[in-house]
Amino acid sequence: MMPAAGLGLLVLVALGIVFTGLPAFVILIGAASVGATLGVLTDTVPISLLTALPSRLINLLENDLLQALPLYVTMGLLLDRLPVADALYRTGLSLLPRRPAAPLVSGMALGALLGPMNGSVGASVLALSRVVAPRLAESGVPKPTQFAAVAVASTLGVVIPPSLVLILLGDAMLSAHTIAVTSTGRADRVINTQDVFHGALLPAAMFLVLCLALSWHAGRGIPARADAAPIRLNRRQAVLAAVTLVALLTLLGGVATGYFYAVEAAAMGAFVLLTAGLLTGALRGPVLWGVLHDALAITGALFALLIAATTLTLVLRLLGTDRLVSDWITGIPAGELAVVAIVLGAIGLTAFVLDAFEIIFVIVPIAVPPLLIRVADARWVSVLVLLTLQTSFLLPPFGYALMMARGTLRLTLGFREMIRALLPFLIAQWAVLAAVLLFPQLVHVGENVAEATRTPATPMSEQELQRRLQQMLPPPPELEAPGR
Amino acid sequence: MTLAHLLAMLDRLIGTLLRLAGWLVLPVVVLLFLQWPLRDIFRAYSREANDLGQWIFAIYVAVAVTAATRAGTHLGTDAVARFYPTKARRILVRIGAVLLVPWACFVVSASKDTVLGSIRGLESFPDTNNPGYFLIKLALWILAGLMLAQAVIDIAQPRRSE
Repeated sequence: MMPAAGLGLLVLVALGIVFTGLPAFVILIGAASVGATLGVLTDTVPISLLTALPSRLINLLENDLLQALPLYVTMGLLLDRLPVADALYRTGLSLLPRRPAAPLVSGMALGALLGPMNGSVGASVLALSRVVAPRLAESGVPKPTQFAAVAVASTLGVVIPPSLVLILLGDAMLSAHTIAVTSTGRADRVINTQDVFHGALLPAAMFLVLCLALSWHAGRGIPARADAAPIRLNRRQAVLAAVTLVALLTLLGGVATGYFYAVEAAAMGAFVLLTAGLLTGALRGPVLWGVLHDALAITGALFALLIAATTLTLVLRLLGTDRLVSDWITGIPAGELAVVAIVLGAIGLTAFVLDAFEIIFVIVPIAVPPLLIRVADARWVSVLVLLTLQTSFLLPPFGYALMMARGTLRLTLGFREMIRALLPFLIAQWAVLAAVLLFPQLVHVGENVAEATRTPATPMSEQELQRRLQQMLPPPPELEAPGR
Repeated sequence: MTLAHLLAMLDRLIGTLLRLAGWLVLPVVVLLFLQWPLRDIFRAYSREANDLGQWIFAIYVAVAVTAATRAGTHLGTDAVARFYPTKARRILVRIGAVLLVPWACFVVSASKDTVLGSIRGLESFPDTNNPGYFLIKLALWILAGLMLAQAVIDIAQPRRSE
């Protein structure tokens, strides 16, 4: 009865987010409070177990990986305030042939370059709306195409390391895989963020190529405008673009090869931009204060979601909802491919009302551990979840990138117009997702033996699997150390 | 002094705290950047930089949640709610603030022994013995305390930004 009540709480969360307009973190905390009260009143949840909450919250406050949050947010804001994005975009335009499609292609490329550096889709939307959208309008690109280009380009960074979504998903997958490995007794190496980075590289490149091709195609039908202003790229902008490109590739390469950690890469990026802004005088007085104020407010929004999701997942575990979901997933009478497709489909459905961060913090900890018990290829599952999350940003009507782009560009678009402009990109995204689903080797290209997370294991019987799972879940909160 | 004056004072106090806390991102960026050269080039003090960065980060994010509430940057969707009348939206904001009160009170009360014990003993970082670990636990009270105070203000006078 109570495990099912937990599912009711998730429905309550979805309804609350859609119909109240309140911040998602408030709804999550409200749902958790309702669940905890129900559990205590029905004697299902001893109140002493709820006292595990503070230690879980302290764990968040001292989590090394989460230090990336303010760093990425600051980097994104600095990129928006400094002329870096503009210099890169103008350089892209000057390198491309003067065709109506050039601003679209250059905008898409800019999204791919800035995305991993500023980490957040919201920051990318802001930067692209400011730098790319006016040029698209000048070139006669129709409004729905402008909107689709900005929204899609802003999500490219999600799958390119070291993006914030990728880092947070890597951490969630590490926890999920640890549960799966422990409960099955497999000798797999537990997956880490670096593995997810490497696995995502080829699918990300595939999607980027498709997006560039689609942008070029979308631009072909636009008549060239004689009154369009010529692209002016001065020497300073060219040098700035070249330096930024080298710095970006160094950061990306350093993280991909494991020379420095993702948090350090983010810190380096933020430090370099901050220093450059201060030295050139671009970050003075109100501009600097604006960056500091926005960085605090945006970091707080992400961290609030994290504390609320931590509260709700604790309550769901105490109610036994995670065990119920585990039983369902481990009991699906189908092969690996079908099980993965079903769970991804379910995650995709939640994306209609939850955004990527909410999915990572609330849904992944519940749905992915049992999936990894059934499916040993953690790298494959991680990349599939990552691609599903990227899709979630663009899923109408509540996709975060869509809502941000609509708000920032101040466009009033009909639902049909929006769908028509987005559809080619959504189909491309789904094609990449399907390709990775059907060909898991796409995430293992270039993987050496030391990097393999999966070891050959003898198949386990259904009964044995259920027994181990029951032993593993839920983790007994009363045994957790109070803080550190 | 009336309740309204008290709430206005509390509002100003929180505003001042948030303005000061905004600067903390600068030491976080610098310290976390320094970790790499300190570890790989100078081979010294990287753990100290990490520990210092860690407690500053804890206080920064603890304050940031309330900053997000005041700036209206929390993630959410108003696709349906934007069509509601203003009065209904104000009631919803009040309900939202009320929902946070029991949570914040529970966090403060359930962590009382952990936080007070850590502060009394000026707990150090367990791995390095560097001072300041108690500030991370104190950050939990800052987080819950500010959320509670902001919720009280929003119950009395819902913010327009939301």
